[in-house]
Amino acid sequence: MTTAAVRRKKILSSNTPIGKSKEALAKVSKWVILSGFALFSMVPMTWMLLAPSKTQPQLQQDAPLSFGTFEGYITAWNNLALFQDARILQWLWNSIWYSALQVSVATAVALLAGYALAATRMPLQKPMLIITLIAMIVPAVAFVLPIFVQVSQLGLYNTAWAIILPGMFYPFGVFLAYIYFSSTIPKELYEAARVDGAGEWGTLLRIVLPMSWGLVGMLAFFSFQANWVNFFLPYMVVNTGEILTLPVGMGILFSQTPALNPGVGAVALPIRGPEIALAGLIVTLPILIVFLASSRLLVRGVLAGAVKS
Amino acid sequence: MFLPYLILLFAWAIYPLAIAIVTSIQSSRAVPGGGIGNYLFVINEFRFFPALLNVTIFLAIYLPAMLIMVAGMSLLLDSIKTRYTVPLRLMYLVPATITGSVAVLVWYFMLEPTYSPFAGLLAEIGWTQGTDVFNRENLAWIFALIAFSTGAGNWIVIQYGSLQSIPDDILEAAKIDGASGFQTAMRIKLPLIKKYLVYMLILAFAAAVQIFVEPYLMSSVPSALGVANDWSLNQLAYNLAFRGSNLGAATALSFMLLLLCVILALWVIYRTDFFDEAEIKRKKKEAKA
Repeated sequence: MTTAAVRRKKILSSNTPIGKSKEALAKVSKWVILSGFALFSMVPMTWMLLAPSKTQPQLQQDAPLSFGTFEGYITAWNNLALFQDARILQWLWNSIWYSALQVSVATAVALLAGYALAATRMPLQKPMLIITLIAMIVPAVAFVLPIFVQVSQLGLYNTAWAIILPGMFYPFGVFLAYIYFSSTIPKELYEAARVDGAGEWGTLLRIVLPMSWGLVGMLAFFSFQANWVNFFLPYMVVNTGEILTLPVGMGILFSQTPALNPGVGAVALPIRGPEIALAGLIVTLPILIVFLASSRLLVRGVLAGAVKS
Repeated sequence: MFLPYLILLFAWAIYPLAIAIVTSIQSSRAVPGGGIGNYLFVINEFRFFPALLNVTIFLAIYLPAMLIMVAGMSLLLDSIKTRYTVPLRLMYLVPATITGSVAVLVWYFMLEPTYSPFAGLLAEIGWTQGTDVFNRENLAWIFALIAFSTGAGNWIVIQYGSLQSIPDDILEAAKIDGASGFQTAMRIKLPLIKKYLVYMLILAFAAAVQIFVEPYLMSSVPSALGVANDWSLNQLAYNLAFRGSNLGAATALSFMLLLLCVILALWVIYRTDFFDEAEIKRKKKEAKA
């Protein structure tokens, strides 16, 4: 709504005293609902940020959203590192290099394919676009079991590649790039480049790409978001602890430590609430930072092409 | 230029699809004849119907909750001045970062009465112990809550974005015609974002019907042990493949779920105008050039 429209609304509705009090009431209840939901949204994250600062007894007895000590984080980390010789560091490193590789390849491939679909003459353009749309709507989880059979046949079962390679397929990215190249970049630009004798590659790399860093950021953002938290696929195609990623490692902590179930695992293993909350925090913080830093990309991306923002 | 993507498309979508079809009609120890027998085996498997029921109940709670809350909250957010919505929008986005295995972890602590910040509220409805919360009757509600908390805020912000793109002249015309804020929201804004809401529901349905990680991890919680084990259809597929070593039946089940999602995708593409606008924009550009 424009400020002019808001101002007009004020003038129109504050003519009578009844209108005024009614409007005030509506305004207050709006704010109560909106900020109430905002507070509710913050509770889980706040809890997770605070939990590692406390000890297990404090976690159970103190107020749920209270703070313990800063040393608590260090203690929780040291305890977490006791699990299978600091296995969590291995998981963290795996998650980082797998998703770095996935994000860079997926982004580059999507960029090229989107450009080819939007700006070059290619055979089967329309069917390829439809297939991409279908692949984009069907969730990746639906392919997990067939992919498991496939990587077993290819001899990739229980290797890092079984996790990394499927994550490079990124139809949503191709669609985003296609929309961007066919609606944001003026058609004349491609034609001018062609007239000047720049080939398709030259046009893309030297002329279009320098104008498209926003798109590149958006592609990387959504690809990172999907790959960093992926659980089902890594869980299915790998069964060796050293090759797994952080989110699946979390699952292992669930079932092999006393974190949720005091009866499980080595009795001496001090992995309880604070430790597992810290592990959760390590998975979540990178996404949180990326998310908050680029919340505008999110809106522009999901409804790409349909909404200006 | 298109080649790298084409290779990935074949390797990780078309080839797996072919594998799913071939494997799902393979013969196995349980179904020596293979073929359609694997599909019949799954449907007659004693855990199939309960899992289908579980997922259906979960969807019946989750999808309407998403629709009502996302539509309502985004309209509400749209009715206040833009600059005040910035901190609200950021806060709504926060839960979207807690997904998958971390979401299960966090919500376990949010709902376990010993730890929960909502312990008072839980005690009001008579839940004072873990076993009161994590049991058979509540699981669908708990998973719906987890899915909702992960997805709703995100989509509120996205739908707010689409509301912001409604042209000002339409809204001003409504105002001049004497429409109240509520009337404008219900009669003008809501119909204009309807197709984005439908798109959201389709994506949410396709993802939710495949639910796996939540019930799988929840089965580590003592009081849900054994109850959450074959809870969802995908869990059943997983257990058929790994514990029952019946890969044919497992892929038959997973192929049925896959097919359901493909049909939905085709419906969105051909029966709604969601992707038309992108095409129209492109055509306009082409016509100009």
